[in-house]
Amino acid sequence: MQSEPDDWVENVRMLEASLGAVVPEDGSLLRVREQRGNGAGFDPTTWRIIAEMGWLALRTKEDDGGLGLGLREATALCAGLGRGLVPEPVISAILALRLVSAAGAGAPEAALTGETIMLAAWQGGASDCDPTAGVTVSDGRLNGRKIAVEGGLGADIFVVTLAEGIAVVPKDAPGLTVTGQQMHDGTFLAQLDFADVLAEVLPCAGMTTFVREAMLMHAAYLMALSERAFEITLDYLRMRKQFDVPIGQFQALQHRATEIKLQLELARAAIGAAGRMLDRSEDPHLAQMAILRARSRAGGLARLTAREAIQMHGAIGYTDEADIGLFARKAMVSAGLYGVDTDLRRQFSAMRDEREKAQ
Amino acid sequence: MTQTDVQPPFRADHAPHPDYNAMPDAEFRAVVRHFIETHYPDIPRHLLRRLRWQEVCPWYAVLARTGWLAPTWPQALGGMGLNAGKHLILIEEYERFGCARMHDIGTVMLGPLLIQFGTQAQQDHYLTRILSGEDIWAQGYSEPGAGSDLAALRTEALRDGDHWVLNGQKTWITLGADANMIFVLARTDKSVRKQAGISFLLVPMEAPGVTVREIENLEGHAEFCEVFFDNVRIPIGNIVGEVNGGWAMAKALLGHERVFIGAPRLSASALARLEEIARREGVWSDPVFRDRFTQLEMDLADLSDLFETYVERLRTGAPIGADVGLLKICQSELYQRISEEMLQVAGSLGGAQLTDATARLDTAGTWLAARPTTIFGGSTEVMRNVVARASLDLPK
Repeated sequence: MQSEPDDWVENVRMLEASLGAVVPEDGSLLRVREQRGNGAGFDPTTWRIIAEMGWLALRTKEDDGGLGLGLREATALCAGLGRGLVPEPVISAILALRLVSAAGAGAPEAALTGETIMLAAWQGGASDCDPTAGVTVSDGRLNGRKIAVEGGLGADIFVVTLAEGIAVVPKDAPGLTVTGQQMHDGTFLAQLDFADVLAEVLPCAGMTTFVREAMLMHAAYLMALSERAFEITLDYLRMRKQFDVPIGQFQALQHRATEIKLQLELARAAIGAAGRMLDRSEDPHLAQMAILRARSRAGGLARLTAREAIQMHGAIGYTDEADIGLFARKAMVSAGLYGVDTDLRRQFSAMRDEREKAQ
Repeated sequence: MTQTDVQPPFRADHAPHPDYNAMPDAEFRAVVRHFIETHYPDIPRHLLRRLRWQEVCPWYAVLARTGWLAPTWPQALGGMGLNAGKHLILIEEYERFGCARMHDIGTVMLGPLLIQFGTQAQQDHYLTRILSGEDIWAQGYSEPGAGSDLAALRTEALRDGDHWVLNGQKTWITLGADANMIFVLARTDKSVRKQAGISFLLVPMEAPGVTVREIENLEGHAEFCEVFFDNVRIPIGNIVGEVNGGWAMAKALLGHERVFIGAPRLSASALARLEEIARREGVWSDPVFRDRFTQLEMDLADLSDLFETYVERLRTGAPIGADVGLLKICQSELYQRISEEMLQVAGSLGGAQLTDATARLDTAGTWLAARPTTIFGGSTEVMRNVVARASLDLPK
């Protein structure tokens, strides 16, 4: 095992300290609320701020103008974004830059500065996480479909994952049709239909791993939005009185609250372990499996927290006016992105069998 | 008790221990493995049930002679001086080999308490007798009316000249019939808040007025006992710490055991057996079963990661935190879910009653053995109460 520099701890502290530029420190969700359904579902001005902070280039090699930071830093950042329900598709952009950089195409300056919005189109089907699925290439032309590109209506460039590598495709490329599906959290997922779209295909070693890294970042986003929703719910349990006592005094609610806490701590531990293993390059196979279960845990946590948060708030939790609903909608939508439960278990099981065969 | 060729007192007869804590983990692990392979006597391994004293005595003898009996005691007091990290490795290796758990209430519970709170005379007397195997201790905490609400205990000790006179009943005493000594939490003041009137007494089981009755558990083993005290007279000096100071002391005793009780070992070993049974029954490649198995496997791995975060806190001396109870809740509930799956996979023969010789893949035995894990050491319900109030700051 290599000796580990502790730089990441300091990096995480700096990143967390800088989050205030985008996530209001007082917990206000006014911007998030007003952004819903507007434009592409996120704010171009905020995007520029995010780019200026260097967050998009977090995982891009330093040679390509990035920060070259580890996954523990990346997950800490995404956790901060999750707490604030930030709708900007940061993870997709980090992935897009990582793919382009790994394919040897450098990192486009405009994408680093935020002038151009470059996002990853990796998912082929709604219920699987195979980045090679959906679009085929022959004679330099792309055909097929990519789905669930978060924030995709606001993108200028798509980085499309293929069995052969990646293709960088502008939004106005002839033969490409971009359509949006509004989601319940006020964001839009784009569907990209390719009909003989001319594109250069670049080999991209490690593509599947990079997508899984994005899954881990998204797991951190889910974990943190759940944690914030849980905090708000606990405050409510302490404050709301019925039968002359705070409802948080009732054992039935206390025990359910501890279950959320348990799932939260399991998610945090799994995400932490996966990040550590990847950053230290310990047993890559086991590290990938750790991502799959961390992502699975975080999705389950988000859904559990969302439904308990609504139930524990009672009728007020079912109104659009209460902020807890923003978390519930975000959880419902986000728990289905960057990983789908049945498929995560299928992949985990397959990787386990591979491992057994190899040993 | 049947006679065996080894009986206490055992005398330590070994070279001084090295500083195990200074060893790299891998090296220490190798030392432990070698020790077990060299010294483990010809007694059963990998049993779900606890061995009785006459069965496990040869192992106690080996540990006593080699100085391996009390891993966490300071070396100067006859222990190995292991820190939490090294102790965990030791436990892991014992578990891996399937070593029988010997009678360890003296080394795990009483010893550390005496080292922290006992008088010099108590340490000299009792620690020596634990190490020699002359005293086998039992723990007298629970009562018929005081389980989860332990502080409601009613066993009472009244001062009479140079003696305490003890009356009452203790129950769920693990391997109590094998013990010659028992420590008892008893009420010594009824006029104060219930936690404030409790003392910690040391009672010889041979004292007149002590009666022991074995209780057969659901697995068919007499691991538990109940003990009755009828005007039992105990010398005044048989108290640890202050009079009425027993409750706080007993609570302070819970150190890294609070973490280790949530170790994923039981679940890990049960999951490996579930796989074996599933292969035997031909359902291993059934996708319905595999999906359920994969979920359990992911749950176990996540639990292991969570456990590691607490072990890391022990290593670095960081506060353990009030949420440590989550570990035990998670471990015991997972163990029960795995045992449930074992029972289902074994189908119509899942409830078979097996003997020691065939017990390794004992589905019913595992299901039964998993039951008390959510009851002892703080029931799941009490643990959730504690986490809710102490960690989540919900009102009482």
